[in-house]
Amino acid sequence: MSKDSETTFGEEQRRAYLERYGLTPAEAGHDMLIQMIEDMFKEGLTTEVEPFPETDREFGALLDKLRPLSADQLREKLVISGWLLQPYGEDQMRCQECMYYLVHKRWCDLPELDLPAKPEWWCRLWRI
Amino acid sequence: MANLLWLQGGACSGNTMSFLNAEEPSACDLVTDFGINVLWQPSLGLELGDQVKEIIEKCISGEIKLDIFVFEGTVINAPNGTGEWNRFCGRPMKDWVKELSAAADFVVAIGDCATYGGIPATAPNPTDSVGLQFLKRAKGGALGDGFTAKSGLPVINIPGCPAHPDWVTQILVAVATGRAGDLTLDEFHRPKTFFSSFTQTGCTRNMHFAYKVSTTAFGQRKGCLFYDLGCRGPMTHSPCNRILWNRHSSKTRAGMPCLGCTEPEFPFFDLAPGTVFKTQTVMGVPKDMPEGVDKKGYIKLTAAAKGAAPAWAEEDIFVV
Repeated sequence: MSKDSETTFGEEQRRAYLERYGLTPAEAGHDMLIQMIEDMFKEGLTTEVEPFPETDREFGALLDKLRPLSADQLREKLVISGWLLQPYGEDQMRCQECMYYLVHKRWCDLPELDLPAKPEWWCRLWRI
Repeated sequence: MANLLWLQGGACSGNTMSFLNAEEPSACDLVTDFGINVLWQPSLGLELGDQVKEIIEKCISGEIKLDIFVFEGTVINAPNGTGEWNRFCGRPMKDWVKELSAAADFVVAIGDCATYGGIPATAPNPTDSVGLQFLKRAKGGALGDGFTAKSGLPVINIPGCPAHPDWVTQILVAVATGRAGDLTLDEFHRPKTFFSSFTQTGCTRNMHFAYKVSTTAFGQRKGCLFYDLGCRGPMTHSPCNRILWNRHSSKTRAGMPCLGCTEPEFPFFDLAPGTVFKTQTVMGVPKDMPEGVDKKGYIKLTAAAKGAAPAWAEEDIFVV
C-alpha cells in the first residue's frame, strides 16, 4: 500500500462507495459498516495479520499508522490492523475477549479503529 | 511534648506542600492538640543559617531531645560518595541525616524519594540518590538495612509522590502520642494500616474493571483505566480511594491512571518512552497482572466477565 493511499481518500474510492452503498464509510451506521467489511472480505481482501505486535512499541507503531486515516478509509484500517472475520491463532483470540470490544454495542472502541465488529472477529491490535 | 525536626534532601518540596494541606489532623492540630513541637521545618521554620545549624547540633548532642526526625527527599551521595552536591548548614546533608537518625527516637521518611529513591534515583541516577533504608526494592539505603532508631523501630516509610497529607499527620500523631507500638510495618516499612489495601480498593471504576470495559482515551467517564491507560491501581498498595484527596476525590476517580507511586519501583519502567499512561503488554496480555492473579486465571476471568457484562457498563456514567 502506498503512503498516499494510507493517508488520503480519493474521489474514485468515494464514487465507488456511493454507487454501491449510497454513502461512504464515514456516513455509514453500524449495520452498513458491517456489510461493507464483509463485502470486502468476500471480494478477497487480505490484511496484514502478521507480525503480531508483541511489544507496546510495535503496538504503538501500528496506532501511529492508523491515526492519520479518516473514517472513510475503511479498507486501509482493516489492512493495517490485520482484521479477520474469524478467531485467530492457537488460542483462538477473538474480539469477544478483547478489552477494546464493547459486547453490547458490538463495537471496537479503540479510537484509532472505531468500527463495528462481530464477537468472533479478530485483529492484531487485540489486547486482553 | 514531642520535638520534631524536618529536613529536605533531594526533594521538590511536594511532601511539605502536601503536609501543609493536611486536614485530619491538620499541621496546626499537631501543635495545638497533639503536643508536637516543630523545632524546624524548611517551609515553617523562622530560623536561618547558623540558627538552624545550632538547632541541629543541639539535637545531635542531646541538648535538645529529638523525638521525631522527618526526612523528605533522597539522600544524595554524588559526587563520588561525598554527598557534596547537597550541602546544608556547611556540610553534606547525608552526614546530618546519619547523625540525626542516630539521635532520634523515631525516623520518618516522607514521600517516595526519602523512602525508596523515587524519581531522582531513576536510572541513570546522576545524583547517586538513595532512600533512607531502601534503594527501590533493595534494602540498605543511606542508613543501612540494620538501622533502628532509639525506639527500636526502623525508618517508618510513608511513600507517595507526594504522600497524602493525612497519612503523614496521622502517623506523626501516633508516634508523638506514644502509639507507635500500634504501628505494624510491612516488608517495605510502610504502616500496614494504610498500605495493606490497594489503590483500587474503593475506586469508583471498579465495576468497569469487573466487567472488563476499558477507558480508551482520557476524559472518558466509562471504563477502567487499567486495561489500556497504564493504571497501576490493582497492583499498588495505598489507601488513595479510601482516604480521599482533598477529601473528595482521587486520581482514578478523576480519570487519571494510578502511577504506583507508593511502590518501591516507582517510577516504573524507568520512565522509558511509551511506558507512562500505557498498559505494558506482551502478546496482548498485561505484563503486570492485578496482584495475586495469574495469566491463565486472568484470561478465564476476562472471558466470563465480558460474557456477563451488562449494557450500562459500556456507557459513560458519573464515577465521582
